[in-house]
Amino acid sequence: MASSLHSNNTQICPNPTALNGGSAADGNSQISKKPRLYADPPPLFTPSDIMSEFSHHDPAVARINNGSFGCCPSSVLSAQYQLQLQWLRQPDNFYFNQLQPKIIQSRTIIKDIINADHVDEVSIVDNATTAAAIVLQQIAWGFAEGKFCRGDAAVMLHYAYGAVKKSVEAYVMRAGGYVIEVPLPFPVSSADEIVKEFRQALRRGKQNGRKVRLAVIDHVTSMPTVVIPVKELVTICREEGVDQVFVDAAHGIGCVDVDMKQIGADFYTSNLHKWFFCPPSVAFLYCKKSTNNSDLHHPVVSHEYGNGLAIESAWIGTRDYSSYLVVPKVLEFINRFEGGIEGIKKRNHEYVVEMGQMLVKAWGTRLGCPPEMCSSMVMVGLPACLGISSDHDALELRTCLRDKFGVEVPIYYGPPKDGEEGGVVTGYARISYQVYNKVEDYYKFRDAINQLVDNAFTCASLPIS
Amino acid sequence: MEHEDPRNSESPHRSSKKPKFSSNYIPESEIRDEFSHHQPRVARINNGSFGSCPGSVLAAQRRWQLQFLRQPDAFYFNTLRNGITASRMIIKDLINADHVDEVSLVDNATTAAAIVLQQIGHSFAEGKFKKSDTVLMLHCAYQAVKKSIQAYVTRAGGSVVEVRLPFPVNSEEEIISEFKKSITEGKSNGRKIRLAIIDHITSMPSVVIPVKELVRVCREEGIDQVFVDAAHAIGSLKVDVKEIGADFYVSNLHKWFFCPPSVAFLHCKKSNASSDVHHPVVSHEYGNGLPIESSWIGTRDYSSQLVIPAVLEFVNRFEGGIEGIMERNHEQVVKMGKMLAESWGTNLGSPPEMCTVMIMVGLPSRLCLNSEEDASRLRSYLRDCHEVEVPIFYQVPKDGEDGVRANDGCITGYVRISHQVYNTLDDYEKLRDAINQIVEDGKTCEMLCIE
Repeated sequence: MASSLHSNNTQICPNPTALNGGSAADGNSQISKKPRLYADPPPLFTPSDIMSEFSHHDPAVARINNGSFGCCPSSVLSAQYQLQLQWLRQPDNFYFNQLQPKIIQSRTIIKDIINADHVDEVSIVDNATTAAAIVLQQIAWGFAEGKFCRGDAAVMLHYAYGAVKKSVEAYVMRAGGYVIEVPLPFPVSSADEIVKEFRQALRRGKQNGRKVRLAVIDHVTSMPTVVIPVKELVTICREEGVDQVFVDAAHGIGCVDVDMKQIGADFYTSNLHKWFFCPPSVAFLYCKKSTNNSDLHHPVVSHEYGNGLAIESAWIGTRDYSSYLVVPKVLEFINRFEGGIEGIKKRNHEYVVEMGQMLVKAWGTRLGCPPEMCSSMVMVGLPACLGISSDHDALELRTCLRDKFGVEVPIYYGPPKDGEEGGVVTGYARISYQVYNKVEDYYKFRDAINQLVDNAFTCASLPIS
Repeated sequence: MEHEDPRNSESPHRSSKKPKFSSNYIPESEIRDEFSHHQPRVARINNGSFGSCPGSVLAAQRRWQLQFLRQPDAFYFNTLRNGITASRMIIKDLINADHVDEVSLVDNATTAAAIVLQQIGHSFAEGKFKKSDTVLMLHCAYQAVKKSIQAYVTRAGGSVVEVRLPFPVNSEEEIISEFKKSITEGKSNGRKIRLAIIDHITSMPSVVIPVKELVRVCREEGIDQVFVDAAHAIGSLKVDVKEIGADFYVSNLHKWFFCPPSVAFLHCKKSNASSDVHHPVVSHEYGNGLPIESSWIGTRDYSSQLVIPAVLEFVNRFEGGIEGIMERNHEQVVKMGKMLAESWGTNLGSPPEMCTVMIMVGLPSRLCLNSEEDASRLRSYLRDCHEVEVPIFYQVPKDGEDGVRANDGCITGYVRISHQVYNTLDDYEKLRDAINQIVEDGKTCEMLCIE
């Protein structure tokens, strides 16, 4: 499973202008040097290089949950540590002369990767949860200031992330908005099923003369995980006169293709610490330039208030911004893989599908979606005899796998549909594949489940906590 | 797995015990070691802006960070919440709060301001408050707080009244008197004052405000809520939230309490208002109370919130613990302030009893510091050409007044010097000599060349 070392590379070469961000007026500014224009690209990682980069991971754990908290290689951690020390050494100097140019540098790199038009459209924030607060707070103001009518709607997926749902409650419902959830089938067989449900939900949203002010669409849902056809859904939103579209792509960059112009949303956020090898935590929020969204603010207000979201987000009081600043180092890391980030994505996807299929064959179950609707994660059905019949069961099984078998994998409980009888798969594991994984990780998981089945384990036998 | 827990303290409830034997106190050489990561040769007399963190606490922080990276799921499910609770328990004891439920950990005072003001903003937007109702703040409130008021109060239709405090200041009575005047203004025409925001220690210029008295005045005057912005307080002076009696009290722990950037506590007295405060970054914990909401605002590095036990161990290596540190910092900063004022022929911005670990010292009028730009320029010049880091304050002269007269003109500029355990006499002599050099060279702020 190791990546083979081919000689023709299709790596992303850093844009020379990207690494020279920063204003000339900074006194002791250490604006980054121009990149060396390599005669030969830097050497690709060998498998043992990769192991070494992730040697800080717990070796006793089959770590197949990259989706929740991501991962960060040690060369990036070292770079982060250096930045932290630089701050601690002389914080005033860092604040006045280095912090802002370095943030602009990171933003510029991200802008190029995501095909945004202008660096002004790219803000860096802590995580997608923060981005959601930013987007939804402006919706709340729309209601409070009478721009929107009470009862105007926001649409979101039923499988939207828990924090996003709560944000919608805190900012939209509280302000008088009406929320519509799009039910999605799971297991799902095709993108068309999703498109159909979405259209119907939009129609409901527009009933009684209501206007749909915002659609929140996941690019890759979390639990259960499925790749959503966002481009198509955004197009439908435009056709149906939805004011704004916010794509929550927490799992986006490094997992699926992120092309802002192609997708066409008003807002798009993705975590960089999940699939883009940044340390916890950092995300970008893309805001398409338009008159519609000049009213975005970071909820933590500093003296930069009113200078545009990107500038506001670059200073929200004293804190450790080092995770925002390592993006150049991450790019270096990624470019030592064949094909750069595209190569990593492709191989992650291929391997996770291969491992998913291996598991369903071993357990006699099924995948939660067709391979083309998954990214670097896939839902794998668990044997029905395990008797997973609630969210509590799913969590307990997950704990059991962690504590007794050294396997870290999130478990999803999917209630049986009406009319379905016993023997139905109700539990799914969301397995992931990232560059540090090995086939042994998935064998360990396979064997753990098989052992539980052999032992006639059922979730009903778990202690009630 | 609890036995791997890198917390130094075994008991989560350890309050600040004083060390027993003098031979156990941390020697000078170890103090230097603890701060050996600071840039050498820089006279670092601005602890107020960004604080400082000793090496042993940084090491504890690194252990927490590595533990998360090693197995983040196990950390999230088994370790994080307990670690944050342990930190909150220590803070609760330090500040004499009644219950740990009243103590939330957030990034910094700026975040706490957003939390308190968003709640006020909701009340205006939802019609609980009338548009004419007011929020009271100090004129010298921290800029981020002023902007937060703009973002959450003014935008929602509320009005603002600013209390103009005199500076230089001579006594607490001057402050109390101005404050009462502004309350009268805020309540004029039948208006209600919904919130008073009071700094415990103002930032620029820095002065200790008699918050206990001011909170009492607020209660007497029927002001709904009082929010004390005590960004500099903990580790600078004694913090007793019961005694002070505010509804909300925030202090940064990374300024004067040796935590890494960044962490602050927000104390919310149990009341109707406190049940409607939320962290603006909403996670699945929304509705479970501010301390719980703040303990999970999405994936991020929470290590700065987890090292408080290690900080306690650090401060207890000093004679008198944190109280001893505060006392000595105060003595030294006053001594150094007087030394500078004498050398420059200027003044102190407040009497010694109205400062704690920072003090404002007048700059020679010959520097002709006549604008914010001049102040900024001087600060950069001191940093770049003299390796002195100190913030400069420009005092806008009041109409018709000459300002404080010194030997040869009006004092329009002040330095805010600080003293923390790593400072030495050299630092202040360096500043003294740098300013004297500029004056001797006949340079004014305008003439200073910066790179």
